[in-house]
Amino acid sequence: MPSPRILTYTLVITGAPYTSQAPQTALNFAQAVLAAGHTIDRVFLYGDGIHLASVLAAPPSDEANWTQRWGELLTAHEIPAVACIASALRRGLLDPAEQARYEKPAANLAAPFEIAGLGEWVEGQLQSSRVVYFHSGA
Amino acid sequence: MTTLIIIDQPPYGNWAGREGLDMAFSLAAFDQPVALLFTGAGVNWLRQGQQAELIAQKNVDRNLSAATVFGVDQLLADSTSLTRFGLAPVDLLAGVETVRFEPALLSSYSHVVCP
Repeated sequence: MPSPRILTYTLVITGAPYTSQAPQTALNFAQAVLAAGHTIDRVFLYGDGIHLASVLAAPPSDEANWTQRWGELLTAHEIPAVACIASALRRGLLDPAEQARYEKPAANLAAPFEIAGLGEWVEGQLQSSRVVYFHSGA
Repeated sequence: MTTLIIIDQPPYGNWAGREGLDMAFSLAAFDQPVALLFTGAGVNWLRQGQQAELIAQKNVDRNLSAATVFGVDQLLADSTSLTRFGLAPVDLLAGVETVRFEPALLSSYSHVVCP
């Protein structure tokens, strides 16, 4: 019997946490994909989805911290996660390099997220067998 | 292997369409085939004579006019939405192709993205 086909995925999240369920749904999907033996090439945060990568979100202690939960999954499985630089800069998500470039008082990018261009998404389109989008649903 | 980016949000009042346009330009910059489809309130992107400076925004029709120059293969407009918003072909930017937005249209693209 042939082994089931292993697929590679790029996940694109465009909905913000605490505005939409997109980051949570994407996390559940990622866990299911990995449990089924498939691979996630990368996670790309776009538009309002970049808010998932803010280390400053401080939800009440009895609510899920989606930034932290995503960070744990990404680190455990060594999955690269990139926030789109154009979306991030407009919305006030900065890493130390962008903080210095724009002379801002703080950086707030959560580890292990990185900031990079839409080229990362294009590469995902070319490399992965599936690209799945998680929108706000609004 | 063409990607279809669907813009179904109006050009002003919502940023989703702009980010869709950026995706299209990005694919084109990497020499990947891409087409844009405007549907729903998104067809308002295609109106000629926009005056976005009156609301302190940039005119999106300028970006769009450059789309084919930058390598976006097609600008498509959903005919039903054009009718709904009272837009005739003469009201639209040059180079827009009117299509029926139906499953057969989508099946000809390898990726369909609706940001």
